[in-house]
Amino acid sequence: MKPNERQPPRDPRTHQPLPPCEQPGYYPGFSTLSQQSFWDAATRELVRKRVHDIPPLRFFTPNESKMMEAICAHFLPQDDRDDAHQIPILPFIDERLHQKRTPGYRFEDMPPDGEAYRLGLEAIEQMARANHDRSFLELSWREQDELLKSIHDGKPWPGAEEIWKRMPIYRYCGLVIGDCVEVYYAHPWAWDEIGFGGPAYPRAYFRLERGEPEPWEVEERRYEWLAPNESVSDPSEPEIATHKEHPPAGQGGTH
Amino acid sequence: MSYNLGQPIGGAFQSPNDHKHHLGPMQRIEAPMRRYSPDEEVDYLIVGVGAGGGVLLQRLARGGFRVVGLEAGPFWDTERDWVSDEKGSHQLYWEDMRITGGANPLTFGANNSGKGVGGGTVHWAAFTPRFHPSDFEVYTRDGVGADWPISYWDLKPYYELLELEMPVAGPAWYPWGDPHGYAYGAHPMGGVGNVLIKGCTSLGIRVSAGGPVAILSGSRNDRPHCIYRGFCIQGCKVGAKASTLITHVPDAIANGAEIRARAMAKRIHLGKNNRVTGVSYLDREGREQFQKAKAVVICGYAIETPRLLLNSACNSYENGLANSSGTVGRYLMAQAGNVVLGRFDELVRMYKAPPAHALTEEFYETDPKRGFARGFAIQTVGPLPIAFAKQMMAARGAWGWGMRRVMMDYNHWAALGVLGEILPWPDNRVTLSDERDQFGIPIPQIRFSLHENDKKLIEFGKKKTEEVMLAAGATEIVQEARYAHLVGAARMGKDPATSVVDAYGRSHDIANLFICDGSILPTQGSANPGLTIQALAARTADYLISQGTKVFNSDQRDMTPPPIRRHLSPPGTHWKGVPRVA
Repeated sequence: MKPNERQPPRDPRTHQPLPPCEQPGYYPGFSTLSQQSFWDAATRELVRKRVHDIPPLRFFTPNESKMMEAICAHFLPQDDRDDAHQIPILPFIDERLHQKRTPGYRFEDMPPDGEAYRLGLEAIEQMARANHDRSFLELSWREQDELLKSIHDGKPWPGAEEIWKRMPIYRYCGLVIGDCVEVYYAHPWAWDEIGFGGPAYPRAYFRLERGEPEPWEVEERRYEWLAPNESVSDPSEPEIATHKEHPPAGQGGTH
Repeated sequence: MSYNLGQPIGGAFQSPNDHKHHLGPMQRIEAPMRRYSPDEEVDYLIVGVGAGGGVLLQRLARGGFRVVGLEAGPFWDTERDWVSDEKGSHQLYWEDMRITGGANPLTFGANNSGKGVGGGTVHWAAFTPRFHPSDFEVYTRDGVGADWPISYWDLKPYYELLELEMPVAGPAWYPWGDPHGYAYGAHPMGGVGNVLIKGCTSLGIRVSAGGPVAILSGSRNDRPHCIYRGFCIQGCKVGAKASTLITHVPDAIANGAEIRARAMAKRIHLGKNNRVTGVSYLDREGREQFQKAKAVVICGYAIETPRLLLNSACNSYENGLANSSGTVGRYLMAQAGNVVLGRFDELVRMYKAPPAHALTEEFYETDPKRGFARGFAIQTVGPLPIAFAKQMMAARGAWGWGMRRVMMDYNHWAALGVLGEILPWPDNRVTLSDERDQFGIPIPQIRFSLHENDKKLIEFGKKKTEEVMLAAGATEIVQEARYAHLVGAARMGKDPATSVVDAYGRSHDIANLFICDGSILPTQGSANPGLTIQALAARTADYLISQGTKVFNSDQRDMTPPPIRRHLSPPGTHWKGVPRVA
C-alpha cells in the first residue's frame, strides 16, 4: 500500500488521521524481541525466521496476488503501522496453500483450501463487476470494504450466486479471516501491540494475578482512536454473532 | 520506562548439544532402544503411542512381554523440536486430511488430535478429573446413552495409580463424584481462575482451584515444576505437564519396548483360525512393511482406530475387521466445549498460568428440574492470541479494524469453557470416504449432529457459564460454539451385538485383537477423558499380564478381574506425594 492510499485511524477529538507509527497499541516501549535471549534456542530461531525470511509467492499468480493483497488489507488492515513495520500476511498464506498444509480437516461442503481461495477471488471479481462495472482493484477503498462486509455478513452483493452455491459464504469468510489473523498475531510486533508476553521458556512468568506485568512487561496506557472514515469494519456497536444460523465452529484447541 | 534485564548469565539460552534424546530439560533417554526386526514375531504390537498406547506399552514391557509400538508421528526431542509458539506448534497435531460434516461438523487437528509419541497428551490442557460413578450407568439411571460393562469402583484403583504416576496436582479435598483428595499441591491462581472463583462464589457455586491438572506444582525426579508460561497446548517444553512421552515412554524403553516412530499403520491382517497375525504399515521412507505379532492392540483414538478397522475389511469381515456388530465407527462423541468470553475493565492477562487451572462440577449430574439428562462442567480456558482472535471472529463477528481493536484489548478478556456431556448416537459416525491420503489409505469421513437432549444441555450450560462470567464482573460477554475431545466409535459393552470390545478392550469378534484408547468409551461424562483413558489402559495391562500366554494361543475369554499390580508404576511415582485420600 502506498502512503498516499493509506486509510489510517483517526483521533476522536480532531477527526484527523493519526500518524502511522512503529508500534500501535497500548503498550508503548514493550518489546518481546528485546527479551529473546531469555527464550530457548528453537523458539528464538523460529521467530527469527518468521520476521526475516519472508517466503516467496508460489501459489497465487501475480494478478491473484494483487487482489489477495488488497483483500488482506481490508480483513486485517495495518494503515496505522509505518512502512517499516508492516506485517507480511499474504506470503505466509501463500506458503500454506503452496505446501498444501491443512488444519487437519475439510468441511464436506467445501472444496480444498486452495480451490476455495481461487473461487473466492472469482466471486469477488464478479460481484465488483455486477455492481460497479469495474474490477475489484479499481473500486474505491470504501467500495472494497463494503463488498467484503457483504461477504462477512453473509448477505453478498449479487453477481456470484453460482459460486456461493458451491461454497458456503460463511465458511469462505472464516477461512480467509482465520488465515489472516493466524499470520498477523503470530508476529512478535503484534504481540507487542496487544501486550502479549510471548515465549517464556525457560525464564517463566511469576506475576500471575490481577493482570500485573512482569518486570520486563509494561503497564497498559490506553488511548482513544476511531477507525478510518472509509472503513465499515469497526461498528460502534459490534454486530455479535453475525451468522446466527451458521456460526463458524471453533477451530482451536482451548480445553 | 521499559525494564530490561539484559542478558541471562552466560549469554542466551542454547540448545543442549550433548546429542542425547531430551524429554524436557533434565530427562534423557540413556540406553539405546531395543529393536525388533519386522519378521520377528513380537508378543504385542501396539498401534499408536498416545494416552492409552503409552501407558499400555510401559506396563506390558515391565510385565516382561516383547512389545513394539507403531507411532505415525515423530519421537519428539522436546528441546530440539518444540517451541513456545502458537503458530509454530502445528506439527504436534494430526493434520492429515479428514472430511467433516453433519449438522454440527467437528473440527480436528489442534482441537483434539495428536500425532507423535505421546499423542494427544502432548498438547492436552491436562485437566484430569475422574469420571463420576454415575457415568458408568447412564442408561440405568436416565434411560439414555449406555451403561459401561464396568463400574467406577472397578476403575478407581487405576485412577489412584495414574494420579500419582502423572502426577495430578489439585486440592486436598475434591467434593464431586466420589470425593477424594490429591497428593500433589494445587497450583497458584491465574487471572482466569480468579474470574471463575469470583463468579462461582458470588452465585454460591462450589469451585475447585489449582487443579485437578496433570502438571507438576513442585519438581519431581527429573521433571521440573510448572513455570506458568501458558503454552500447555503447544507442548510443554518445561516437562512439567504430564504426557505419556515423558511419564511412561522412558520406562517402557528402559524395560525393552521398541517405539517405531513415523510408522503409519495401514491394515491389520487376519490369518487362519480367526486370529490376527500383524499389521502392515508405511515406514519413514514410505516403504510398506509388515510386523508380525501374537496379538495386536489398537490405540489410535476415536478417528484412526475405527478407520484402521474399517480399512482392514476382508472376506471374513466385509464391513470392517471386528465389526460383526456394525458398531465400528458409530457412537462417536465430542463434548460440548462452548467458550464464553468476558471483557473486564481491569487487566486479566490470561496468557499466564496453565489454561487449565480451576473448574466446577456442580452441574455434572442429571437434575430432572432442568429438563434434560446429564450435565456439564465449567472450566478455565486461556486462549493465546491466535486462538482468541479466531474466537472473536466466530463469537463477535470481528474483522478489519474491529478485529484490530478487540485484539488490542486481549489482556482485558477472560475465557471460561463449558464441558458438556453429549450422548452417544449411532448416526454420529466415522466412515471411509472415496478420497485417499498421501499413503493411499482412504481418508476418514466424520458426520456429527446434535440431538434434542444435547441441544438443551448446551443451551443451559452456556447460560450458566454466562451467569458466572457476569457475576465475576464482566462488562461484555460473547460466546463461541465448539466441541472438545473425541471418544467412542469402537465402544465396549457386554453385548457383542451392540459393541465392539469387552470390558478389557478385547474385540468380541477376534480373540487376539484389542483396543485400548478413547474410542472404547460408551459414554463420556463431562470430565476431560485423558485420565480415564490412561486408567483404562493400566487396567487392560493388568488383565493381559494376568492372562499370560493364553491370549497368544487360545480363543478362550476369561473375564476374571485381574489383581491390581501397583509395582508396575514407573519408578519413583508410587507412594510419592502426600496422600490425602478421602
